[in-house]
Amino acid sequence: MRNPLIKRLPRELKSEFGKYLVIFLFFLIVIGFVSGFLVSSASMKVTFGETFEKYNIEDGNFELFYEADEALIETLEKEDVTIYENYYIEKDTKDFESTLRMFKMREEVNLECVMEGEMPTDTNEIAIDRVYAQNNGVAVGDTLKVGFKEMEVTGFVALPDYSTMLSSPSDMMFDANMFGIGVVTEETFDSFGKGGFHYSYSWKYDEAPKDDAQAKEMADDLLEVLVDNAMVTEYIPEYCNMAIHFAGNDLGNDYMVMMVFLYIVVAIIAFIFAITTNNTIAKESTVIGTLRASGYSRGELLRHYMTMPVLVTLFSALVGNVLGYTCFRTVAENMYFASYSLTTYEVLWNADAFIKTTVVPVILVIVINYVILVSKLKLSPLKFLRRDLSKRQKKKAIRLNTKIGIMKRFRMRIIFQNMPNYIMIFVGIFFANVILLLGIAFPSLLNKYEDDIADNMICDYQYILKAPVDTEVEDAEKYCAGSLTYVAENGREEDATLFGIVADSEYIDIELADDEVYISDAFSEKYHISEGDTVELKEFGGKKYNFDVQGIYHYPSSLAVFMSQEHFNETFDYEADYYSGYFSNTEIEDIDEMYIATQITVSDMTKTSRQLIDSMGSMMDMMFGFGVVMFMLIIYLLSKIIIEKNAQSISMTKILGYTNTEIGGLYIMSTTIVVILSIIVTLPLVDQLMKYACVVMTSSFSGWFPYYVPTYAYVAVVSAGILSYAVIAWKQYGKVKKVPMDMALKNVE
Amino acid sequence: MFLEISSIKKSFGEGESKTEVLKGIDVGIEKGEICVLLGPSGSGKSTLLNIIGGIDNADSGYISINGEKTADMNEKTLTLYRRKHLGYIFQMYNLIPNLNIKENIEVGAYLSDNPLDVDELLHTLGLYEHRHKLPNQLSGGQQQRTAIGRAIVKNPDILLCDEPTGALDYNTSKEILKLIEEVNQKYGNTVVMVTHNDAIKDMADRVIKLRDGMIRKNYVNETKTPAVELDW
Repeated sequence: MRNPLIKRLPRELKSEFGKYLVIFLFFLIVIGFVSGFLVSSASMKVTFGETFEKYNIEDGNFELFYEADEALIETLEKEDVTIYENYYIEKDTKDFESTLRMFKMREEVNLECVMEGEMPTDTNEIAIDRVYAQNNGVAVGDTLKVGFKEMEVTGFVALPDYSTMLSSPSDMMFDANMFGIGVVTEETFDSFGKGGFHYSYSWKYDEAPKDDAQAKEMADDLLEVLVDNAMVTEYIPEYCNMAIHFAGNDLGNDYMVMMVFLYIVVAIIAFIFAITTNNTIAKESTVIGTLRASGYSRGELLRHYMTMPVLVTLFSALVGNVLGYTCFRTVAENMYFASYSLTTYEVLWNADAFIKTTVVPVILVIVINYVILVSKLKLSPLKFLRRDLSKRQKKKAIRLNTKIGIMKRFRMRIIFQNMPNYIMIFVGIFFANVILLLGIAFPSLLNKYEDDIADNMICDYQYILKAPVDTEVEDAEKYCAGSLTYVAENGREEDATLFGIVADSEYIDIELADDEVYISDAFSEKYHISEGDTVELKEFGGKKYNFDVQGIYHYPSSLAVFMSQEHFNETFDYEADYYSGYFSNTEIEDIDEMYIATQITVSDMTKTSRQLIDSMGSMMDMMFGFGVVMFMLIIYLLSKIIIEKNAQSISMTKILGYTNTEIGGLYIMSTTIVVILSIIVTLPLVDQLMKYACVVMTSSFSGWFPYYVPTYAYVAVVSAGILSYAVIAWKQYGKVKKVPMDMALKNVE
Repeated sequence: MFLEISSIKKSFGEGESKTEVLKGIDVGIEKGEICVLLGPSGSGKSTLLNIIGGIDNADSGYISINGEKTADMNEKTLTLYRRKHLGYIFQMYNLIPNLNIKENIEVGAYLSDNPLDVDELLHTLGLYEHRHKLPNQLSGGQQQRTAIGRAIVKNPDILLCDEPTGALDYNTSKEILKLIEEVNQKYGNTVVMVTHNDAIKDMADRVIKLRDGMIRKNYVNETKTPAVELDW
């Protein structure tokens, strides 16, 4: 015969439908989102791996100052490589501020994937990168003014060698707003004129290297031949080309964060289930005592009380997974597609995601509930019959100072009585506040970063020249610039810019000693380098340089080293009067564009924050909403238990003559105190956690984000918490009002 | 008449299942009297007590205490009525489990502008040494004494006792009855006590016997016996 207790389950579901529904929906959203993320990122990663063969991705590329002649190509191809022309031209767009890099349509390597529309077939037609188009609001069929040409956008493409929109191999952060890729017909390409061509070439090895070590060896050999025979301006083997690999590395990079987030939420809900069930056991103790006395085993009762939590978790996990493959997958997909120019992908079944989002949460709920409930159900039937559910012989009351008013002591007793609930409320508020603060503060942090950069630009116009050229502009000041790599203790490498500045510089106000340097505060904060330390930098070939740090200069955007011009030229074996650029507050117009390698503007310096706002901005609003829901759900469920547990006492106080307001002042005010204290106490902890997270996050980007949370963000988090709680408190006050007085009268056992 | 019960009728259920529990109760109780409501189960004695206590409504009729009619009161004034005039003692004590003994009594004291001294009352109740204990650390008799303390600390006009000895053994029951009697003598409260123990009627000033929702007997007890001498 089937256990007749099963018949209670539908009734239990009906009587507590609201509670189970909100938990179900909450689980559904969390599991659906995480499952969608895991499925889409894993599927995209598989597809990404296949693009190397499918789109015939290059083994590397280099750019020459002059076009390579046949003899050079022949010399290079003797190194067992095939060289492919991959010339490009860069033009500014007139409809919005950006630079568009245009290639001829590819036929052999780095083949395009058409995402929408079609490839250009006629002159003055162009297919542009999908992400760039979306970021700038361009649709297929629109006309785009590129340089002086009006061009019709025939389609959106993804180029496998630009899955991440890095304009230069030395860039560490992509920018698909201000920099984009386009492909045009050969005829259109040639019509721009040879003057602006960048002589870029891709190479493919005749025999693919066996591993990274061999790839490096082969790339080094090729570089040697290149340097001996041509003026190389760019060189990047495929294995270290972030424009090809960054997206692939980032796919699923948030895996650990997602899993930790999921399991924390599951653990919190599992504890709420356990606390709720504990309360039900206390309420039904005489029934349990009778059933145990009648022969029902502890295991049967344990299984009975665990059934609903497990069923709700299992059901929400299964439905969540279905939604993960359908609705929520597109949320994660949109996040990646907003950042990276990925090719189309096929959704693949992911057993690992299913286990981690369905099996593990169910096991977690079973284990947490089992551990908590099994000890409760270990009590003897007699104890259940006597409603004496304390494990210790007789629980002693904590002594409270009798000078404290009775109402205050009453509230304190309620807090002590419901400590497990309040601990869970504290934990829940902590995590909800993390989500809320992140949702509010992240955009502010990026905006502040942009403002800081704008405020601390060395000058309005910073030029890097291809060769020293004089100017008549009066406030132009010569400087030297170079780039070396800093290797952090954890092995992470990041490029630092070296500035050699003239004595008594108008733009950089530091007194430099002959053989010492200043470093930017971004460098100092990110890698914990202080005044008096020695910083070691290395160049591409491996040669190392040591610099003694004389001081820290306020330059918040990037890793920079400042030294005197003499020190710079002596260190890098340049002539004493060598320089490579100008600082100027006036635009320099008397130098031919062909001598200007780069003009650095504010937008160049803020591409990191801009991209992060683009790819994560909408996510932050979602996070804020989710934080509020999580906050309300946890407090609602746990404070509901407190009212239900004390219904008998509430009924009695009503009989004694206490008003609803006074009773609310006891039972709801206790929760109010805990909630407000939790919000206030967790905020500094959340702040520290966020600070740490900011350090971890920025360590994976170039440059440095100084941690910044505006005061209004804290106020907003506290206000959101208090307002959300006010709704819950109002709901619980309604519950207090509804507790009938005859409840105390019915207590006749 | 201090406590006037006039034409009280009360029924439960509807249609065919409607049961008339009180069929028109008229009775008056003088101030300071101990009134015992006797009757078998289902006679309507607890329902009448709840109506006097303002935690249940009569279908018709009214309760008047010193001229204040409960039927005219809304929920808020009824709460104030209970607060001002009534003390309640139940069979199952209904103490607040997470408050200690002294605090349970203080919960009652808080409601009064002029409460009795709590420590003195704890001594009177023989609970002073147990004042820091939780209710579940005490015996049934001690818990009931705490409930009495909570009820009388605000020095109510009327003490309503619903089977106060129903869950206690013989000796403890007598101890509790003696305490109620002492409280009545010391503070002059009117006591309305519901019981089905016929022996208790002997300690009452007035005895009202109910059966099937009607008063069968209502008399003044001329031969009152002290609680300590009761026997059953």
